[in-house]
Amino acid sequence: MSSITAWEKDQVAPSARPKAKFNARWLYLAGGLLLFSAAAFLMISGTVSGARYFITVDELLADNSYVGGGTVRITGVVIGSTIHYDTSNANNPVITFTIANLPDGYADLGTALHEAANNPDATTLPIRVENEAMPDLLQHEAQAIVTGRLDENGVFQADELLLKCPSRFQEDGAEPSLADEV
Amino acid sequence: MLAELGLLALALTFAAALYAVVASVLGMLRNLPRWTVSGRNAALLTTPLLLLSLIALLTALLGQEYQISYVHSVSDPQTPTFYRITALWGSQDGSLLFWSFTMSLFTAGAIALNWRTQPRLMPYTIAVMMATLAFFVGLSLFLENPFTRYWVQENTLTGERTAIESALIPPASDTTLILAPSEAVLARTANGLNPLLRHFGMIIHPPMLYLGFVGFIVPFAFAMAALASGNLSLDWIKVTRQWTLGAWLFLSLGLLLGGRWAYDVLGWGGYWGWDPVENAAFLPWLMGTALLHSVMVQERRGMLKVWNMFLVIATFTSVIFGTFATRSGLIESVHSFARSAIGLPMFLFWSSMTLISLTLLFWRWSRGELKDERQNVHPLSRETLFMLNNAVFLTLFVFIFWGSFGAPIVSELFIGTEISLGIKYFNQVTAPLFAIMYLLMGVAPLTAWGSTTARKLGGLLLIPLGLTAATGVILWVTGVRSIGGLFGYLLVAFAGFVVLDETVRGVRARMRATRENPLVAMWNLFGRGRRRYGGYLVHVGIVVIGIGVIGSTLYQQETQRTMQIGETLDFGGYALTFNGIDSGQIAVDGRILDIARLSLARNGNVIDELRPRRDLFLQADGSAMPMTIAAAHSTLENDFYVLLVSWQEISPNQATFKVYINPLINLVWLGGLVLIIGTVIATTPAPAPQRQTASIPTTAGVAHA
Repeated sequence: MSSITAWEKDQVAPSARPKAKFNARWLYLAGGLLLFSAAAFLMISGTVSGARYFITVDELLADNSYVGGGTVRITGVVIGSTIHYDTSNANNPVITFTIANLPDGYADLGTALHEAANNPDATTLPIRVENEAMPDLLQHEAQAIVTGRLDENGVFQADELLLKCPSRFQEDGAEPSLADEV
Repeated sequence: MLAELGLLALALTFAAALYAVVASVLGMLRNLPRWTVSGRNAALLTTPLLLLSLIALLTALLGQEYQISYVHSVSDPQTPTFYRITALWGSQDGSLLFWSFTMSLFTAGAIALNWRTQPRLMPYTIAVMMATLAFFVGLSLFLENPFTRYWVQENTLTGERTAIESALIPPASDTTLILAPSEAVLARTANGLNPLLRHFGMIIHPPMLYLGFVGFIVPFAFAMAALASGNLSLDWIKVTRQWTLGAWLFLSLGLLLGGRWAYDVLGWGGYWGWDPVENAAFLPWLMGTALLHSVMVQERRGMLKVWNMFLVIATFTSVIFGTFATRSGLIESVHSFARSAIGLPMFLFWSSMTLISLTLLFWRWSRGELKDERQNVHPLSRETLFMLNNAVFLTLFVFIFWGSFGAPIVSELFIGTEISLGIKYFNQVTAPLFAIMYLLMGVAPLTAWGSTTARKLGGLLLIPLGLTAATGVILWVTGVRSIGGLFGYLLVAFAGFVVLDETVRGVRARMRATRENPLVAMWNLFGRGRRRYGGYLVHVGIVVIGIGVIGSTLYQQETQRTMQIGETLDFGGYALTFNGIDSGQIAVDGRILDIARLSLARNGNVIDELRPRRDLFLQADGSAMPMTIAAAHSTLENDFYVLLVSWQEISPNQATFKVYINPLINLVWLGGLVLIIGTVIATTPAPAPQRQTASIPTTAGVAHA
């Protein structure tokens, strides 16, 4: 056990003050409780106001309460032929595209994206993003994670657009074409 | 050949690490010094072995051995040499190997520096580090092997061929023939490095981040050794102070460079988006920062012993958690690696590591071996403020953890729908805490250990508060009127003025005592009190960063405009003129560049030519991946940041631009530089113990100080 050095002894004021000790303990307890409840309040209120449900296109369209409702986060796969970038209004360019439902619980994202994009029966949802730069990754079969609201016309008005192209750069397993020549 | 060599070295590392764990623990428990020495030697062997493995992979990358699937997936014949080297950590398998190598480097460093001085702690320390290393090397060996190769399996009866991936040469049989794929096909189908990773920041950002992450293993291992061996004196803290600071330095650098990369490459005008992967790296930083402060309380006052142990565990456990979260595909993020097989093993490792270390801590605590030497704390003392500082960092940790991982996982488990929390949540909950942090940062340096009187503290606060008030007046006059902005700037400035005033008073006291001139006095003051003044400099860095963050967050301006050639956009006091587009330029590495030419003028004078561009990377599969590269006019006042958003080839006289004005953003990088210098000063050991009577140094003496 390390002990107080002589140098420290000189510095330390005698601490045996029972009266202060009692008061101080309550002071700390009350202060701690106050800080704790302030922090808890901050976290809960932040969560309530910032929460966005992360759902699929199917889930969004199956529930009417989402129409004109609060902010949600949806995921789907981009259909390349629907991408349109309209710069006719110089100060407010508009990106529109359609995403298809990406089912939950896939094994390999790349395959799931490819299948969802080419499934003629998949539910689709038009997306509209205002005043955003054209994202580099907005292309066919990209996974889109879009935050926004579903309006009365069935168009999803997006505030935030996140895109992923996982199939291209992280591949597991050998490409079949490698077997063509030896 | 290279693949076999790398694989063999990797396998030997795995065996050596496991042996080191067994030998070290056995040697300590049975008191067999020969075994502990043998364990140490095995641990030392892992560094050259992993280096060999890494060199094998690097040689394969440089030599374009596309049969190795890792090389095939991160480079192609067009990749410049420079990016072939950085491709070493460009994807999961390679970066895991690199991670293991840095970990073995830290082990070697700890052995070299502390083997003689800490005979009781070292064997356990080695055991902890080697167990962790064995786990990571095992991941490389069994799940994410960077040396797997492509093979073609030919059925001799049907002539049918299939491509497979395997580390060892697959067994051939009477009906199957194993062949190597043709080099031409391999080269043609190679993927090339992800364009997003082609940035100068990618040379140093990942290594720095890894050094930071991995570096925290040293304090963790020493703390575990202290708990295991029962040597619970200040030894582990004294030994690990420099290691913790070093890891903290690298982690800070990694975070800053990551922000810079995002700002330059991702093209959204910002540097920090509260993305889960960013947060995963920020969480250990928060715990590490809390730790750096709270160990001082134990050193000076013999208190917070259990808490410090907890913080060491929390720091390293959050490193492992962050690695797990980003590498397993647990969370959706722009930065994360793809879903992979290492999720479950990493989760198991993380949870068992946390459980074991906390159990060890609880065991020592319940035996009464971690009793604090003092019970009473004066409300107005440095230790109280340090505890509050720890409370702030812990709360930030909880908030950020909850926002990035807690809420999504808990909601997914209990209500079946994932709830995610965005930037709004993080800004809302962290802002008040950062405010308290700056306030504490201002007051704490003025308080004394033990106790301070309100009167004395008030006296010391006078000058900094006066300067803060004066700054407030200046800001008001220059037109800063928003409450949030004023409050933020002044709080941050206050913390800065305290450090400044403290330094000035230190220099003047020294000048009075030694009759040195101000510069010499300051030099000596910093030289003798490196910990203190290095720490102050770090505070200055945090202050400068704070000013940059407030400016660029609260006062950012953005606009978007489609312009004809010759048209001018007036924005924020600047005039941006579109002069034309140089399209279809072809770079050495094969990408196609479309470069817009713009001139930027202020008050009628052209101050800069900006060339934002769009790079088109042609992929092996025939598709193209575009990448937007911003151009910026950078000054201390602001960045004028321009993105070429789109342009039509049919009408090349028109293009759309997005423009950001980011005030004070360069202070973020500048503050980062100050922070790094401060940390380096605080980390370097003082030359000699402070003498009570300072002799008057001659000029020659100063040069040596």
